[in-house]
Amino acid sequence: MSAADTAIPVLNARGIRLGFGDATVLDDVDLAVHPREFVAIVGASGVGKSTLLRALSGLLSPRAGTVNIPHGQDRDSRAWSMVFQAPRLFPWRRVRANVELGLEGLELSRDERRQRALEPLALVGLEEYAERWPHTLSGGQQQRVGIARALAVRPRVLFMDEPFSALDAITRRRLQQELIDLRQRTEAAIVFVTHDIEEAVLLADQVVVLGRQAAGQPAGVVARHEVTLPTVERRDHPDFADQVQAVEAAIGEH
Amino acid sequence: MSRSKRTLLSLCGLAGFLGLWELALRSGLLPGSLVPLPSMIPGVLWAEIADGIWLEVVTASLSHYAVGVLIGSLLGIAVGVAAALLPRFNAVHAWLARLLRPIPPLAWIPFAIIWFGINPSAAAFIISIGVFWINYFASHSAVRSVDPGYDEVARAFGHTGFMSRLTRVSLPAAAPGILGGLRAGLGQGWMTVVAAELFGIPGIGQRMMEASSLLATDIVVVYMLTIAGLYALFDFVFVSLQRRLLRWQP
Repeated sequence: MSAADTAIPVLNARGIRLGFGDATVLDDVDLAVHPREFVAIVGASGVGKSTLLRALSGLLSPRAGTVNIPHGQDRDSRAWSMVFQAPRLFPWRRVRANVELGLEGLELSRDERRQRALEPLALVGLEEYAERWPHTLSGGQQQRVGIARALAVRPRVLFMDEPFSALDAITRRRLQQELIDLRQRTEAAIVFVTHDIEEAVLLADQVVVLGRQAAGQPAGVVARHEVTLPTVERRDHPDFADQVQAVEAAIGEH
Repeated sequence: MSRSKRTLLSLCGLAGFLGLWELALRSGLLPGSLVPLPSMIPGVLWAEIADGIWLEVVTASLSHYAVGVLIGSLLGIAVGVAAALLPRFNAVHAWLARLLRPIPPLAWIPFAIIWFGINPSAAAFIISIGVFWINYFASHSAVRSVDPGYDEVARAFGHTGFMSRLTRVSLPAAAPGILGGLRAGLGQGWMTVVAAELFGIPGIGQRMMEASSLLATDIVVVYMLTIAGLYALFDFVFVSLQRRLLRWQP
């Protein structure tokens, strides 16, 4: 990837405002995500993290502001895709057919579609589960299929909405490590919502902290923290705890 | 209780009932003019088959039944699904549905005769009404209770059009409820098939009316059992099909 490519953001959001009914929940959020960048959005529950993610993806229209995810004339990929908190696989489709969901509607032949589904399944280590029904898989395996489904469309931006929060601690750790490894093999930039600050520092290049300046006011970006640690073996790095604390401090002030 | 033991007990219950019935008649406890001897039924059934009457009336009834069930089911599912997915259509049809729903299928007989005459179409029409409502309610509530999360997944993966979401989410997700309605409709169809034929349309119902006017209760019972047998057969085939379609369920 050339330097010119990295200069153009794959996601550019300006002045996002979100609300329910009369209340404004989030206001004046700016966010630029660059190619292959990993941005984590953290904040207390109820601050509007998941809602912001939906606005960034276009699943929800913001009250104000613009989101731009430039996507060329590609007819065999999508601008973005999403991994949800619950895997939300379609129980009536076999694993492979679930992964093919986003490929239906792209300009791909049946064989290409099949191949494009098996690749990400292999990436998450579930190739041999392709013809199984989702309910025969464990929660962790189902979430892996959810990740494969999102990767299959070769998105420029991959949104992840607290994807590991519903998993047990051991499975969560394993999937976190898999995601770190996966980043070497995907072109996608990742926008990752979590309430777990350690997870954010472990995975992200940039941590965006959402919070309120004062009680009763809409939330906004209160801090942006660049994680300056090598991508591998972060958890064991001597500065890991310090960086987690720095983000915690930013949340604590708001 | 083990499965074989339960089957054995069920068999004993049925055999005991038939035995008591036979005994009550033979001992003179019940007058023979009211009910036939169970042991005579197989012979009467055979006579009906040998005369060709059985096949003729069963074929006639099955054709009303098939047409009525098919039309009632398709329309019921179509209207039920549309009402669940399209708020405007739901609002337009809501009071009309509430007005028509309580009218029993047989109350439509006068109109059936005026519109279609005394012919098989009239019977199929009557049958389709009961089947329509069962399928309408089953598919309406099945589609309404589909997890909206699935819709969001479909949208997140580029399926924003109505037809795309209908075929990818609404219909497969609601399939268990819709198939449940279809199965109930298959039963409901048999309930009305006899009544719909009572006003002179050839079929099982008409044959039963003829027999009862001659006090041939044995023939009446033969056709009662015929209906029970046909229902059991249809239900068995449908349940096998249903199990196959829903094999994705845990």
